[in-house]
Amino acid sequence: MHRLFPEKLVTVITSDVLEEHLVGRVRHRGASGYTIVRARGAGSSGEQSGMLDIDTNIKFHVIMPPERLSGLLDDLEQLINKGHHLTVFVSDVSVLSPEKYSESME
Amino acid sequence: MSALSNLLIPAVLFFALGFFARAIKSDLRVPPDLAKVLSIYLLMAIGLHGGYALGKAELTTAFNSVLWAVILGFTLPLIGYGLLLMTRKVDHMNAAAIAAHYGSVSAGTFLTAIAYLDNLGISYESYPVIMLAVMESPAIIVGLLLASWSRQRLGITGNQGGAAVLQQGGTGNGQLGGLLHEAFTNGSVILLIGSMVIGAISAPASMEKLFPFIDEIFMGVLCLFLFEMGMEAARRIREFRKVGTVLVVFGLVMPLIGGGIGLVVGAMVLNMSVGGTLLVGVLGASASYIAVPPAMRLAVPEANPSFYLTLSLGITFPFNVIIGIPVYHALAERLVA
Repeated sequence: MHRLFPEKLVTVITSDVLEEHLVGRVRHRGASGYTIVRARGAGSSGEQSGMLDIDTNIKFHVIMPPERLSGLLDDLEQLINKGHHLTVFVSDVSVLSPEKYSESME
Repeated sequence: MSALSNLLIPAVLFFALGFFARAIKSDLRVPPDLAKVLSIYLLMAIGLHGGYALGKAELTTAFNSVLWAVILGFTLPLIGYGLLLMTRKVDHMNAAAIAAHYGSVSAGTFLTAIAYLDNLGISYESYPVIMLAVMESPAIIVGLLLASWSRQRLGITGNQGGAAVLQQGGTGNGQLGGLLHEAFTNGSVILLIGSMVIGAISAPASMEKLFPFIDEIFMGVLCLFLFEMGMEAARRIREFRKVGTVLVVFGLVMPLIGGGIGLVVGAMVLNMSVGGTLLVGVLGASASYIAVPPAMRLAVPEANPSFYLTLSLGITFPFNVIIGIPVYHALAERLVA
């Protein structure tokens, strides 16, 4: 039986144009890494088919220890307040090697 | 009418085919990223062509072209913004974002105009290509500044109140700097200007080796690109009902205004031939749908992308290709005579 440790997975689904900004915020908040997956779909911004630069989405994943979470969520909320459309959800995940997630990228 | 028969070129017909395919809800799809790949090729090829031709150009006319391109780039969005606000049906943020699109240019429309001129055997100067490169950025900057100014004036209502206002004010300048950086280092602009420089300074013999790539297959690639854009335009035009009559009318009227101003600049100020004048008119009339939408999405999130995309891609682009180009041609002939 493996030892699994609790972490938080933050998932953000939003327009590709926000990628650099999100990466900057996530680095700033001390995340150990992130993963970006290309996405398409539809929602409050209409259909995002991925054909042009304007309607390409990304699904952005970050695993962080619970203590560092609220800073990142503040940043995401700030983006939403400015008018950007983001789908943000936090899930509980269980990971191997938790020490990996405490090391910041910077 | 002969004007209509001049449109029977593959480039325009493939645009119509793409539009038709989407309109009848065919399941025809292109892979994602196709438009992005084809855009890179088209910008590179037109840049190289322009740069190569510029080797024989006059410096004063080139300089004047750049100057007037910048003037148009800054003025047209202000005109658009003013017109939209005058209708009292459009809010400041949407007006700023939409206006930025009309001050910028559509390389797709420009290249369609070139295909149109080639078909008729009408020659054209290479200066409009430099103008194309230069006119992308000023409109983005104007859009950003108008939006930023509106935000501060309106006190950002609709947000969380005091704290958000202070925060916005504080980080305002840093954000503006970043967005100005984006306007000047915009990918399409760098590619276009860079290719022009390469075309201008490369040895002619080495440039000739490139002709099979940038010359012979150019029209075919343009057809593919316009085919996809036809599908995208059809997808967007379906939203014209959501956009409202006022904006639809703007999408039809603004290109005529911008086109008219461009034609006058081309013929009277820059003394170009009919071909060159038509191209400058098209630059004035066209609205960006590749480079400016992402810039506005990032910088003016309060604006609704459905509005500016439906207008520039769904209404103005087809209008310019089908009705605009022949009309601007007729006007150009009158002005240059």
